[in-house]
Amino acid sequence: MNLLTATSNTALRGSGLFLFLLLWEIAPRLGWADAQFIPPLSAVIAAGYKLWAQGLLYSQLIVSLWRAALGLLVALLIAVPTGAILAGWFPRVLTYLDPLFRLLSNVNPFSLAPVFMLFFGIGEAMKLMIISLVAVWPILFHTITGIRTVDPLLIKTARSMNVSNFVLMRDILLPGALPTIVTGIRISVQMAVFMLVAAEMLGAKAGLGWLVHSSAMLSQLPRMYAGGAFIILVGIFINKVILHIEKTSFFWKESVEIFDAVSPINKKGKWSMLFDEYYVSLVVLLFAFIIAFGGHEVNRLNKERFIETTSPRSNHEKHTMKQHLPGCTEKKDDDTLNYIIGD
Amino acid sequence: MQTLKSLFTNTIAIIVFILAWELAARFGFVNTMFIPAFSTVLLAISKLLISGTLIPHIAISLQRSIGGLLLAVAIGIPLGFIMGGWFRKLETALEPLFEIAAQANPYILFHVIILFLGIGEAAKLAIIAWICIWPILFNTAAGIRNVDADLLKAARSFGLKRWPLFYKVVLPAASPSIFTGLRLSAGYSFFLLIAAEMMGSSSGLGWFLIYSQENYNIEWIFSGAVVIALLSIIIDSIIKYLEKKIIVWSEPA
Repeated sequence: MNLLTATSNTALRGSGLFLFLLLWEIAPRLGWADAQFIPPLSAVIAAGYKLWAQGLLYSQLIVSLWRAALGLLVALLIAVPTGAILAGWFPRVLTYLDPLFRLLSNVNPFSLAPVFMLFFGIGEAMKLMIISLVAVWPILFHTITGIRTVDPLLIKTARSMNVSNFVLMRDILLPGALPTIVTGIRISVQMAVFMLVAAEMLGAKAGLGWLVHSSAMLSQLPRMYAGGAFIILVGIFINKVILHIEKTSFFWKESVEIFDAVSPINKKGKWSMLFDEYYVSLVVLLFAFIIAFGGHEVNRLNKERFIETTSPRSNHEKHTMKQHLPGCTEKKDDDTLNYIIGD
Repeated sequence: MQTLKSLFTNTIAIIVFILAWELAARFGFVNTMFIPAFSTVLLAISKLLISGTLIPHIAISLQRSIGGLLLAVAIGIPLGFIMGGWFRKLETALEPLFEIAAQANPYILFHVIILFLGIGEAAKLAIIAWICIWPILFNTAAGIRNVDADLLKAARSFGLKRWPLFYKVVLPAASPSIFTGLRLSAGYSFFLLIAAEMMGSSSGLGWFLIYSQENYNIEWIFSGAVVIALLSIIIDSIIKYLEKKIIVWSEPA
């Protein structure tokens, strides 16, 4: 593909997005769309910049990412060992457990959210539970499938060398299943981010979902759009990060089915190859940072808000659906325990 | 004998799970204030169904979910045909946009849609149609693009005209993909419906859950959860059944 076709192809691919952004800027200004409901793109970008300057953007972002990361970690710690042990060492037990897993994976986490809210109140534990619940199933199913589809020849060869079950798992099953497991992780991260925003909207005092929800309630529309656009960008970025792991780490696997244009394999520069080599370690490092800094931020915010919200409120205001009408400034508080005990 | 054995394998784990749940609740391993026994939940479900409290909510939820799904199908499948088959340039231009739109978090869009359409049926139908459209669109386009070229050439060599070519060759060849998209959409639609109803609604299963939560009626919450899980399994089975009936030539996976 020579340079001209490549550039024109990229131009064509970008044109749809460009037109959309252009439309977003022009339509409210020309009055095609009500400027009250859709602020022009420049207003949204200005609001986003203000959020960043106030430090709110970083704060909410790291809190949201922390919740997602922690939920993902819990899900990984539960799903990978369970799936690996079941599929690798007890495949017959697995055939019996399969229907149960399929049934449980159909349970809507939203339907359990009220139970969690009554159990744990509107705290971090509830959100963590919901995100872990949602993130567990893709990883579990993909681990099971991955281990099941390890080449039986490899397993038989290993058995003929009289390896122990543990060595079989560590050296053959897990590495063989790793590509599928990473795909499962990618899907589960998508679902976790998905549920995270919802869980934050249902009951939270911090995080990107809370930012969008409260901006909507206070009718601060540019801020809402800015927060929303930011969430979308973060989701896309995370997806690309994990896709890159999938594409580069497992060179023996066929390419992932995605809607990207296939780029020709060029000779890569020195830095690019170094980046690829240490990519996974960089991602793990980023993960650790998110958990560390996010935890710190969550602690700080909780201490702040605790001072704010220990004011008594009437029972009627706390749980009515009036909170969801625009313009209302009521937010769900976290005094559920108080509510049960205190009167 | 074979079907009996497969029935056994399919249900034994579920039965053991339910038994364990029941015993744990009876013997006090779990606090029944937070996790009621299975028998209590079952009793609550039957009471709700018989007294007719739950049925209008189920009906409304199903109505919204299926309505949104149909809307998505009506828009998505033709659009998928167009994108997959005819206007390649248009497709390349719109692809990144659609990709981003597909990944856009529906809860955020829900707020935007509520701004325009208010908190009513239209908003919920719109958000469900939105989330259902993307799997259908992408899978239909992919299905059309991946139609075996040999089939097309063979059909053309028989002198098949454009329109019969479409509904005799292209459509059946693309149907497995279309049904995959449909199954994905059905799952998402029900999933999202509950969330949407929890956030801004006064009827439907999601609202029922919030209502039970406000009244601290744990049994009702669990009944709602069980009913929702059963409904999603039923919807999925219905679509799988339809798929088996319509695509008679596919081998079992």
